[in-house]
Amino acid sequence: MDISAYKGIHVFCEISKGNIIENSLELLGEATVLKSKIAHTPEVTAVVIGYALDQYTDLLAEHGADRIVLIDDKKYQDYRPDFYAEALAQTAKKYLPEILLVGATLKGEEIGPTTAMMLHTGMAAHCVELNIREDGQFVQVVPAFGGKVLGDILCPNFRPQMASMKAGLSSKVTFKGKEAVVESFSPDVKGFGDKIEIVEVIEETKEKITLGGAELVITGGFGIGTQEGWYKLEQLATKLGGVTGCTRPALDEGWTEHDETMIGTSGVAIKPKVYLGFGISGAAHHTCGIKTAGTIISVNKDPNAPIFDVSDYKVVGDWEKIVEALIQVL
Amino acid sequence: MFEFFNEDQKMLRSVVRELVEKEVAPHAAKWDEEDKCPVELFKVFGEQGLLGIFVSPEYGGAGLGLTERAIVLEEVARYSAGFSIALMTHDLCTAAIYNHGTEEQKKAWLPKLCTAEVIGGLSVTEPTGGSDLTNQATTIEANENGYVLNGRKVFITNSHIADLNIWTGTSGVNAKGRKELSAVLIPPGTPGLSAGRKENKLGLRGSVTGDTIAKDVQLSADAIVGKEGKGAGLALHTIGHFGRSGMSAIATGILRGCVEEAVKFGNERLIYGKPLTKIPAMQAIIAENQIAFEAASAMLYNATAIYDRGEDAIARLAAVKYFTTEEAVSSARRTMDLMGGYGVINEYPVGRFLRDALANIPSGGTSQIMKVIVAGNVLR
Amino acid sequence: MSLSIAVCVKPVPDSDHYDKITIDPKTKRVNRDGIPTIINTMDKNAIEAALKLKEEHGGKVTVFTMAPDSAVENLRRVLAMGVDEAFLCSDRALGGADTWATSYTLYKAIAKAGAYDIVILGNETEDGGTAQVPSQLGEWMAIPHMTNVLSMAYDGEHKMTISRKTDEGSIKYRVALPAVFSVVRETNEPRIPNVMGILKAKSKPLTIFRAEDLDVNPEFIGLKGSPTQPGDIFSPDMSRKSEVISGEPEEIAVKIIAEIKKTGYVIG
Repeated sequence: MDISAYKGIHVFCEISKGNIIENSLELLGEATVLKSKIAHTPEVTAVVIGYALDQYTDLLAEHGADRIVLIDDKKYQDYRPDFYAEALAQTAKKYLPEILLVGATLKGEEIGPTTAMMLHTGMAAHCVELNIREDGQFVQVVPAFGGKVLGDILCPNFRPQMASMKAGLSSKVTFKGKEAVVESFSPDVKGFGDKIEIVEVIEETKEKITLGGAELVITGGFGIGTQEGWYKLEQLATKLGGVTGCTRPALDEGWTEHDETMIGTSGVAIKPKVYLGFGISGAAHHTCGIKTAGTIISVNKDPNAPIFDVSDYKVVGDWEKIVEALIQVL
Repeated sequence: MFEFFNEDQKMLRSVVRELVEKEVAPHAAKWDEEDKCPVELFKVFGEQGLLGIFVSPEYGGAGLGLTERAIVLEEVARYSAGFSIALMTHDLCTAAIYNHGTEEQKKAWLPKLCTAEVIGGLSVTEPTGGSDLTNQATTIEANENGYVLNGRKVFITNSHIADLNIWTGTSGVNAKGRKELSAVLIPPGTPGLSAGRKENKLGLRGSVTGDTIAKDVQLSADAIVGKEGKGAGLALHTIGHFGRSGMSAIATGILRGCVEEAVKFGNERLIYGKPLTKIPAMQAIIAENQIAFEAASAMLYNATAIYDRGEDAIARLAAVKYFTTEEAVSSARRTMDLMGGYGVINEYPVGRFLRDALANIPSGGTSQIMKVIVAGNVLR
Repeated sequence: MSLSIAVCVKPVPDSDHYDKITIDPKTKRVNRDGIPTIINTMDKNAIEAALKLKEEHGGKVTVFTMAPDSAVENLRRVLAMGVDEAFLCSDRALGGADTWATSYTLYKAIAKAGAYDIVILGNETEDGGTAQVPSQLGEWMAIPHMTNVLSMAYDGEHKMTISRKTDEGSIKYRVALPAVFSVVRETNEPRIPNVMGILKAKSKPLTIFRAEDLDVNPEFIGLKGSPTQPGDIFSPDMSRKSEVISGEPEEIAVKIIAEIKKTGYVIG
């Protein structure tokens, strides 16, 4: 493999329910950042696979694509991993990108490694960060052991260097009025032929989340004070797309009936990405339930509240004002 | 803890622990509060082969021993001593039939006990006293159809849920004029047998304990378990080995629970800016818990291994029962001390551990009786 | 028609003990000494799926893993669940493999051991969580592969109807065998071994393959054969920093939202 022949950053742009997903737009933004850090300022290409794709070109250009490759065919209308992966691989074989980014969605997690195999290259999954080192080397940072360890991954000898990232880790960048070169590409994609048949595609509405699987949990303690106050917390939870957990005082006061959402020794232990505690003092029997939460942000008007010892971020203030401000900003 | 388990015993423990963490741990506090015995779980344990684990395969068991049974009960008791004693009592019925029953009785009932198709019970204790074993008022009288059973038993675990019951009662007098006991098997649905009052216990809630009443219970001629007149031997052997090793296993489970809860709370609770475990007085408590657990485990499994190699272990198990059950009470109490105010809050399991440990002591013979047995054996 | 099913599993450090993991600053390797290993949780779902198929259609379930010799203990546990046979690929030369080299090794082990109608894996592991091995194994084997499988139904004649999860809902496919599928936690409830299973486990065949037993290209295995290479490792600071966020409520709100986004959580 002649490494130097590979130039450019490809971003696979995934479509869900008729829209380019946020994750892909963020990766385009990420690609523009990488582009600015690489000496030869590589071109950013958005690769889209699907059907009736012309509608997306303006959006993709505005979010940083210099070039847009459309693989537009009815055969891609419904998702077949073998077709998508092969189409993406054929695109890479034609354009020889040095970096290929894929969103770490359920489809991306499948397409990415398959494409990597077809290209005999390496892929780092679920990266939390992408960097260009001082020596020009592309570095992918991945978590292990539930985030206890972070490691750098390099792909020095193979191209394209592939990486996937989940949504929310990079930022979209908008380039108003930017134009991109749009190309159609019709690779000869066979996949596994008739060994795979699509029988039915089912679209579902989102289900209720239980505390255990929730990624963002808001909890209120005795400091909430009133039922009305509690409702504000629930409102914030809805806006954030999270779930409300509670502590014993909240249950005892009757602000919530859901004792299955009580967090603590006799309740639930949770591992959300984000834990927001309002008016919670931090009694041991509650905090042991949140020990392994990702990021803990606590708001309490008592600067010596024990909860702060186990929080990543400490806000000393009136919880109600903060909650109202959050609801406003969101 | 005891280190000389074989590979199968180690895997058994890890498998039972997984089952217990899934099916028992989440509900233990609720069962204690509601005083509810989760009868539906008997079948789950039966399916996993955990009931009648000492019964040979020809009768539906796993062909293992008292050691493996103790492992199961210990693991369950770490979270729910109450449910553990319910399982233990079921096993007493199984053990009585397995060790003393006729071939017909074994074939008829052991497979069903092993799968928990029937739940077992053993009724021995009378209002006149449990310690005073042979002084029973229950009568087993021969008649033209077999035997008639009349009497009342107290403090019987599984009283309201057992399908298959074994009762002891007086069946005659011996040459010296002393009462002779026999044991009888009462099949499910036999008329005249009922459960009476249900006790509201201080601990071991999660098992149901109460009176059982026999009024003119007609049994067939083959209802005697073992030999007529040998009922005392059956009771002493069954309770002496299977009962007391069971209670010791339960106590050991509680001891382990105390070790783990003390460490967990001690590490999390901050006082004077540091975890409790930094304070020497707290470390002493944790050490005492650990020592008690180590001693209990070693003593228990040494005794069960002796039984499993074919020897009588009654005196040994009396010593084990005395030691482990008393230690469980001390350990639970000192763990509560470590936890300070939180120790008396029912959100934490340690208060329940103390109550369960206390309730475990008079079961299968009081601590005073245990000492009588031990001394009696030493001074023989 | 009865099914010959292969399941690939991985022993991983028990996540309850993650806080004991340390990093050797000199070798940049993760120190896992003293941390017990268990079978990756989703792999148990894979084993359960395989055992269910065997119960329904007859056949045999064989487990493969690439791990150190100590994995024999984990494999005994898997055999106790009802699996018929196990193969352990253990060799220093296999160490340090990324998903490319790992899937290659598993492919070679499976090829050496026999012909299989279905290969089932857990979607991802708790310790690395790349979710890449199932797809890459399918590619090596040049057979259809599908991840995030929620249900599998065998028609008795070389085809499976499967339902797999997507971000929009689910898709049902009919797939010709042989094929590779990876399952998730929602797929089933893994059984806990029973006592008979435990007693039978030690007499079931467990074979250790060393690198020379497998027909592998030495350039494709282990760290040497991995297109991706590890760089620096570091442990993010575990103690909670209690960093103060201050300002007016609106400013605080904006800062809080920024921190939420940093965790990777998607708002709404």
